[in-house]
Amino acid sequence: MGKVAYKRLKGCRHLRQRLVLATLAGTPVVVDDIRSEESSPGLRSYEVSLLRLLESISDDCLVEINETGTKLRYKPGVLMGGKRHVHDCGLSRSIGYFIEPLIILGLFGKKPLTIRLKGITNDSKDPSVDTFRTTTLHMLKRFGVPIGDGLDLKIERRGAPPLGGGDVLLQIPIVPSNLSAAHWIDEGMVKRIRGIAFSTKVSPQTVNSMIYAARGIFNSFIPDVHIFSDVRTNATGGSSPGYGISLVAETTTGCLISADMAVSDRKTDEMEEEMDEKPNLIPPEELGERAASMLLEEIEQGGVVDSTHQGLLFILCALCPPDISKVRVGKLTPYGIETLRNIRDFLGVKFDIKPDPNSGTVLLKCLGSGMKNLSRKVS
Amino acid sequence: LIATTLARKSVNLMQLVYGQTVSNQGSAVSDSSESEGSDDEDFFKPKGQADKGTDDKSSSDDVNSEDCSKFMKSEFKDWHDRDLIESIRDRFVTGDWSKAAK
Repeated sequence: MGKVAYKRLKGCRHLRQRLVLATLAGTPVVVDDIRSEESSPGLRSYEVSLLRLLESISDDCLVEINETGTKLRYKPGVLMGGKRHVHDCGLSRSIGYFIEPLIILGLFGKKPLTIRLKGITNDSKDPSVDTFRTTTLHMLKRFGVPIGDGLDLKIERRGAPPLGGGDVLLQIPIVPSNLSAAHWIDEGMVKRIRGIAFSTKVSPQTVNSMIYAARGIFNSFIPDVHIFSDVRTNATGGSSPGYGISLVAETTTGCLISADMAVSDRKTDEMEEEMDEKPNLIPPEELGERAASMLLEEIEQGGVVDSTHQGLLFILCALCPPDISKVRVGKLTPYGIETLRNIRDFLGVKFDIKPDPNSGTVLLKCLGSGMKNLSRKVS
Repeated sequence: LIATTLARKSVNLMQLVYGQTVSNQGSAVSDSSESEGSDDEDFFKPKGQADKGTDDKSSSDDVNSEDCSKFMKSEFKDWHDRDLIESIRDRFVTGDWSKAAK
């Protein structure tokens, strides 16, 4: 093997996206200066965990981390997929952190991916597993991924932080050759609101108060509101008490706008402590109200996806065959902007971004990079 | 006049995302060679996101900021407010269909 040209990057910002795009584009990367200025330098345990996960689902991939963890060398291999993978996601980030990259990588594997993920299912930082099940997986449908056919997320156990204990089974099919471009600009009107409120190891009454509070807000807008309750008490409730709510607004054109919130007592996480300065314990009534407000704010912004899914939407557009994709989103989030930059750097796809002054939304157009499922072709 | 302001606005948004290289995208070759150089600058130069919301600005400029797709707001509007309710009334099927259609 000759000398490999590594793409040099600095800092651990958006590490997941960069790894995903590097894997798909087959670009080896070197990341320098990972938290080198901080008191606790180097990669965090969840980032190392993610790298191990990448190693386990792909063949011939190389991960090297230096002693202090401030430098990472990653050479992507062939995505294998396959069944019966088990990954312990650890307790520093929730399962959502790992599902986000897996969804994209799984599509371009050699075999359909089935993986069991253990850890925290719902927390306040990452999209919850409920959101993935109700919203994210349905987004793939727009890009030509057959839904219902091996695309599934089963929540077998819930786990709230700090001790987790959750267990979900994720199934992702492969795309036969490539995705199909999407013309997705009509957001429609909200016709119904669905949701799931869960509680683990606390009184079932918390679920009812969350639902009651959320409903109170929605009542002035639309009568078709149904929030399911999911009370977990014994082993299926994981190891820590917690509660949360995930809401989805469905529009007349089938767009799904989601918002979720969860609360729990996190004390054991010392590393994260600097991030969580505000008290995390919100009473259920307020939590329900906040989640509802969050959803309404997403609806107010417009666009075919909510702010959480902007990044995924852009990546999917960029991976389409050389065909024009057109999407509409609300205000661009910092994460979405960073995604656009990363896409340009790795895939060479530039979006045409135009604000739509009438609705205050943003229209994005791009020519897909023509990503093919190469791992499959090789076989 | 409206057309020109619109055009300028769209360029601004493109520039906001991709930086100044957008203005001279004459040939693809020069663009790709340039992007190598400008990559590193991207990380240090905070691209103005002032009008993209004042919240969360500091964290998005940081090279080592947290990898988190969820966009968290610390403050919420009060959705009991009548004016606010009316402002998004037409985004729902219970609102005015003709108004929402345009």
